[in-house]
Amino acid sequence: MVEVGDMLVGYATDENIRSRGASGGLVTAVLAAALEKGLVENVVVMKHINEFEAVPIITDDVEEVLASTGSLHSVPVNLAKYAMGRKVAMPAKPCDAQAVIEQGKRGMIDLDNTYVVGLNCGGSMHPVTTKKMLIEMYDIDPEDVVGEDIEKGKLIFKTKNGEEKAIAIDELEEAGFGRRESCRFCTLKIPVNADLACGNWGVIGDLAGSATFCQVMNEKGAKLLGNAIDAGRIEVQPASDKAIAIRAKVNSVMEDLGNTLEKEIFPDIPDEERMQYYMEQMEDCIDCGACKEVCPVCACGDDAKCTMFHSLVDNYKMSMYHMVRLLHLSDSCIGCGQCSDVCPSDIPITLLQSRFAIPSQRRRDYKPGMNLDTPPFFEVMLK
Amino acid sequence: MTEEEWTPKIVAFCCNWCSYGGADTAGMGRFQQPASTRVIRVMCSGRIDPLHVFNAFLEGADAVLVTGCHIGDCHYVNGNEKTQVKYEFLEEMLLQLGLEPDRLHLNWISASEGERFANFINDVTAKVKELGPSPLKPAGVR
Ligand SMILES: Cc1cc2nc3c(=O)[nH]c(=O)nc-3n(C[C@H](O)[C@H](O)[C@H](O)COP(=O)(O)OP(=O)(O)OC[C@H]3O[C@@H](n4cnc5c(N)ncnc54)[C@H](O)[C@@H]3O)c2cc1C
Ligand code: SF4
Ligand code: SF4
Ligand code: SF4
Ligand code: FES
Repeated sequence: MVEVGDMLVGYATDENIRSRGASGGLVTAVLAAALEKGLVENVVVMKHINEFEAVPIITDDVEEVLASTGSLHSVPVNLAKYAMGRKVAMPAKPCDAQAVIEQGKRGMIDLDNTYVVGLNCGGSMHPVTTKKMLIEMYDIDPEDVVGEDIEKGKLIFKTKNGEEKAIAIDELEEAGFGRRESCRFCTLKIPVNADLACGNWGVIGDLAGSATFCQVMNEKGAKLLGNAIDAGRIEVQPASDKAIAIRAKVNSVMEDLGNTLEKEIFPDIPDEERMQYYMEQMEDCIDCGACKEVCPVCACGDDAKCTMFHSLVDNYKMSMYHMVRLLHLSDSCIGCGQCSDVCPSDIPITLLQSRFAIPSQRRRDYKPGMNLDTPPFFEVMLK
Repeated sequence: MTEEEWTPKIVAFCCNWCSYGGADTAGMGRFQQPASTRVIRVMCSGRIDPLHVFNAFLEGADAVLVTGCHIGDCHYVNGNEKTQVKYEFLEEMLLQLGLEPDRLHLNWISASEGERFANFINDVTAKVKELGPSPLKPAGVR
């Protein structure tokens, strides 16, 4: 019997899935079992193209789910919008899980019928940066890469001819590569907001590398995991105290790092210089609207206030589109980095949004995407 | 053309039932106040969308005033309580953007408070005069 709060270590019973999985294939096996047993109608997974490219797919084909093993650290797409309007099970980084919950609050995702298998996340990288980094830092042709791993703070790439090269992530980030900026100040590393929280932190001893640590966060998670056990897809055992302690320790180190980096990434700008700063940052905006299109917490669709009342012809000193978005997202931006990732003008739009969202959310002691709490101001209702 | 003394342009959003009445009373009572105030009447302060405030600034306002009935007196039950919530976000946002705090105000004014309305406008005008034109004002607008 699986119960809420359980801390387990497990793996896929199928040797093939277990060896291909990022750390034991438990996640893949759980997703496959949910589909096989009719818990959900579809599963969202990553369909690999190569080491840097993958597309999220919504599938009802178990084979496609089984083929999706492995963690892609250079595919930072947010998966929440793929869960809209369907009964799905899906893997989710903490920021994916946050966005799923925010969309749930807006009635765009049916949370009762969406199963979220959370993945711990130390951060993800932009594919373009990764390719450039391979050439400049690793002296490896991106085409030759066959595998990638993170171990003891080092990022390791494996090539076709069996070679491996490891460089410390700190060193990469100092050189301007490594994780996306959003991930450096992200402090939600274990997806406690998902139904299950899975990862390799805390997997020790013989099992290291071939099992997944899994915390059962709620009833849905218990159902999901129990279903995979009943289907014979996974085996689990209780995590040892030592394993639990190690996982907690690594998490707190990562949280501290995130908090330290936040201070570096957001240096104070004096009041009288801020307007100039924002104007300069947004100067190159070509008004394409991509940052709104990808935002996983926005549920406005085509008829949105930020676009409807905005016209380039106005030639205003500051874009009305951005002003509206800076305000509207101050309670809901989860800092996922999607907007910066897609900006064709390389505007660090996530950092701009976060300068507004972080203080606004902190002041209200409110973090979006963690649970069904609505922002505090929703309490003003018609009496 | 002679260079006249610059007076700030102030856009005051007023609700139909209270603060617009206050503006009216101020006029009827002949309380001295600068002519550069543009009053925009809305049915309730709850109708004032932050978008309207952005638009006022981007079109050249040097200050924007959000006004309505005193809390408890809103003619649409609690429109002004919602205004208050929206205003907090708006204020934080404009401050973060680097706009000087004196350019944005929230005030509850009843229909009989003409003098209060006039004093309020005079106060804001004096403060904004010191600040000079808004940084969001389009080129060519005075
Ligand atoms: C970007 C990223 C960073 C991670 N960082 C850490 C970490 O620091 N510490 C830690 O303990 N664990 C981390 N994980 C989780 C870990 O790598 C494993 O995914 C987890 O242990 C489950 O292993 P598994 O063998 O059961 O997964 P598998 O059975 O291999 O299944 C992996 C699942 O992840 C999905 N997936 C792959 N790439 C992505 C992506 N970019 N976004 C969303 N879903 C994806 C696949 O579709 C698949 O369903 C990270 C995962 C990702 C995607
Ligand atoms: S923002 Fe956080 S959760 Fe999202 S990919 Fe980056 S580190 Fe992971
Ligand atoms: S504004 Fe950008 S960082 Fe914030 S939630 Fe939307 S896409 Fe993510
Ligand atoms: S994605 Fe970049 S260029 Fe496009 S609207 Fe957003 S900020 Fe402007
Ligand atoms: S009617 Fe005056 S604030 Fe609502």
